[in-house]
Amino acid sequence: MEPKEVLDELKTILVSRLKFDPRRAAETTEATPLPKGVEGSIGLDSLDFIELSIAIEERFGLALDESEDLSAHFASFATLSRFIAEKMPAA
Amino acid sequence: MTGRARVVITGVGVVNAGIVGDSAALGAFLAAPRPAPGIAEGEIARVAASALSALIDPGDARRLSRVCQLSIAAAQLAVRESRLEPARGLGLVVGTEFGDLASTHVFADGFLERGPSGLSPLLFPNTVMNTMAATTAIAVGARELALTLNAPTVAGELAVARAVAAVATGQASAVLAGGVDEIGPVVEQQLPALGFADRFGEGAAFVVLESRAAAEARGATILGEVAAAAWRALPARPWGVGRQRRSRAITAVLEEAGVEAAHLGAVYVSASGDAARDAWEHAVLSAALGPQAPPAAALARLLGRHAGLGVLRVAAAAWTARSGLLPAAAEPVTAVTRVSSRAGLVHGLARGGAHVALVVRAA
Amino acid sequence: MRRVVVTGLGAVSPHGIGVKAFWSGLAAGACAIRPLTVIESEGFRCRIAGEVPETVAGSARRTRADRFAIAATGEALEDAGLGVAERADAALVVGAVGGGMLEAEAWYWAATRGRRSVSLPAVRSVLPCAHADVLAARWGLRGPRHTVVTACSSGAVAVAEAAALIADGVVDVAVAGGVDAITRICFMGFNALKLLDPAPCRPFDRARRGMSIGEGAGFVVLEEAARARARGVRAYAELAGYGMTTDAYHITAPEPEGDGMVRAIRDALGQARETPPAVQYVNAHGTGTPQNDRVEARALERVFGEGAVLLSSTKSMIGHTMAAAGSLEAIATVLALTHGVVPPTANLETPDPEVRFDCVPRAPREALLDCAISNSFGFGGQNVTLLFRRR
Repeated sequence: MEPKEVLDELKTILVSRLKFDPRRAAETTEATPLPKGVEGSIGLDSLDFIELSIAIEERFGLALDESEDLSAHFASFATLSRFIAEKMPAA
Repeated sequence: MTGRARVVITGVGVVNAGIVGDSAALGAFLAAPRPAPGIAEGEIARVAASALSALIDPGDARRLSRVCQLSIAAAQLAVRESRLEPARGLGLVVGTEFGDLASTHVFADGFLERGPSGLSPLLFPNTVMNTMAATTAIAVGARELALTLNAPTVAGELAVARAVAAVATGQASAVLAGGVDEIGPVVEQQLPALGFADRFGEGAAFVVLESRAAAEARGATILGEVAAAAWRALPARPWGVGRQRRSRAITAVLEEAGVEAAHLGAVYVSASGDAARDAWEHAVLSAALGPQAPPAAALARLLGRHAGLGVLRVAAAAWTARSGLLPAAAEPVTAVTRVSSRAGLVHGLARGGAHVALVVRAA
Repeated sequence: MRRVVVTGLGAVSPHGIGVKAFWSGLAAGACAIRPLTVIESEGFRCRIAGEVPETVAGSARRTRADRFAIAATGEALEDAGLGVAERADAALVVGAVGGGMLEAEAWYWAATRGRRSVSLPAVRSVLPCAHADVLAARWGLRGPRHTVVTACSSGAVAVAEAAALIADGVVDVAVAGGVDAITRICFMGFNALKLLDPAPCRPFDRARRGMSIGEGAGFVVLEEAARARARGVRAYAELAGYGMTTDAYHITAPEPEGDGMVRAIRDALGQARETPPAVQYVNAHGTGTPQNDRVEARALERVFGEGAVLLSSTKSMIGHTMAAAGSLEAIATVLALTHGVVPPTANLETPDPEVRFDCVPRAPREALLDCAISNSFGFGGQNVTLLFRRR
């Protein structure tokens, strides 16, 4: 899967799992930061990140290693889609 | 009792199928009451989506289940009316009968439909009934006690009674006392099978309670005084209707308030269409208040039974003590009766025997 | 001033039925966290829990949680020697979270899969408030009755609420405590939040990875001290102070500096008119999650100072018994005072250097204890501290 397709899937997850308004989700771009407290971010907190990681595991068929510090990958949509695209099993 | 502070109401917030607003909105409704949409048709009296979306910030709404939104909306209305400055010393007591069962169903369905990965961590905290109090405490900055009380029928009245005790004994300098219930489609479906015969509604109502001294010191508008509050129990089988009519709760509050039964202007009752339970409550009140019992208002006929209504009744009793008017005490239900503006009794009695009484006076 | 003493104890726990089994397990440092049997667990990372190991006798009409509560309250009432007349005036405060959810789930699971199994009365018991009505009817408790739901601190809140009723002069006697049976929702939810350790929890250990869930019921009889003395019943300890605060910070995460916890502990000390040096032992909330234990240790250090108290976690042995935790752990604290023995923190191999206290690893410790506190810090920042003092 290309990062662009991954990004679209993430936007779907924003609506279906994280309860974002569809218009707000559509407005996000690769550059949009994710964590709360960062300017221009969509404001995700620790609980949102747990929900997001389960949704990612389900949607993309991955297993995320909780003992690893994954926060750098969850910094923005760009970093996250790249991370997921790299981790996904080859088609 | 010596050393106990007098407890007054300085703010009211209501969000239900018939009323959205503060004490002014409540007063306008009580002066010209109408059954809320749905009640006349024998349906659940539900809060309109538009009412909630107007009161809750969309960014916050994302993370708040509907019943939490109801709670926060009403709580914020009450705090705004009271003009209480956010500071240390605010407690919170929330009464509920059903909690957030809607979220619990969705959470369980996630697993039943998709297995472990279908579970939503965001929903899980809502499966515990303290979610409304926890989210409301964050929204209003309540850092003293934050209690959630679960009871059938009387949860709202009980929350006010508990909050009164907290202010009277100095456990907190101000307490936001509220009741909230939501009846989602799954619960609605199960109500008849579970033996509930009542007319149900949903919504939230909150009152801000403070010591009289603190309220006067900051120049707050005092909407009424809760002169006494007590909760006791009458013997009954679980979910059953009892036979005992002698009420310790009513005796206790009349004594504490220094009011004789004959001098009560009105009673707000918890009757809601469960014939056997309503009859028991009527028998208990008759035994306590005698042949000269004052007129009794059954607001559930207009708004449906829910924990929010129990708190609303306390605010309504204060309005009645001020205005001398009592809705839903005669036929038709939209009639408004003139009563003496003195102290009023708020009463709640549940199947199983949980029992609450409060005496409310004008300021 | 009206003082409150503990005159009766009753427990159903992962160590077995009865206070004797409970204390015997705690004093031995035995870990009762084992593979789940009461619900299915396939597909989940954590598949263990602290289950009540025996069947608690009782009517099939009653939920599992009701049967736990009935047994524990019955034991406490008998321990206190309360007769019919005293019970009729006694207040009842119950801390509950799951209520009859286990049976309601069985019904819902079956209904969703197109099968009918459980009968209706059990479903009606789903609400937490059902326990109080069942207990009151069963034991003739006809005083004030209420049910508190404050997540993981419910059992402790119930005990504090009952003490307040006595201190305020509303009643002279009260029965109070918490109860919870393991439910699918609780088990699945904590799994989904990734808060469970697949192995038995290891509170305060450097390698701790999460909590273990548990179940049970813990109830106490509280009485006004002068009345208890007049009645000639022995008092285990005085419940001298309690503090209840709210973080108002986040729905699941504790406030990082432990401010709400600190205030709860200080409020309990203040009410008891004690200063921090008076306390020898802290029965921690101690769930074993990296976050809770760190923040709790921070709060304790702020109040007491590094190393100033012995600290141990009952949850290391019985898991997190949810609404029962606060009251079962209050009972553990009272028994520690009574026996002069601090129950250990089980599974503690390598103490976390950030936890600057002696956490009594693995083996019980004899100690002269006069004053101890029990902490319960619930989801939603609901903080409760109970302070017990020997008589």
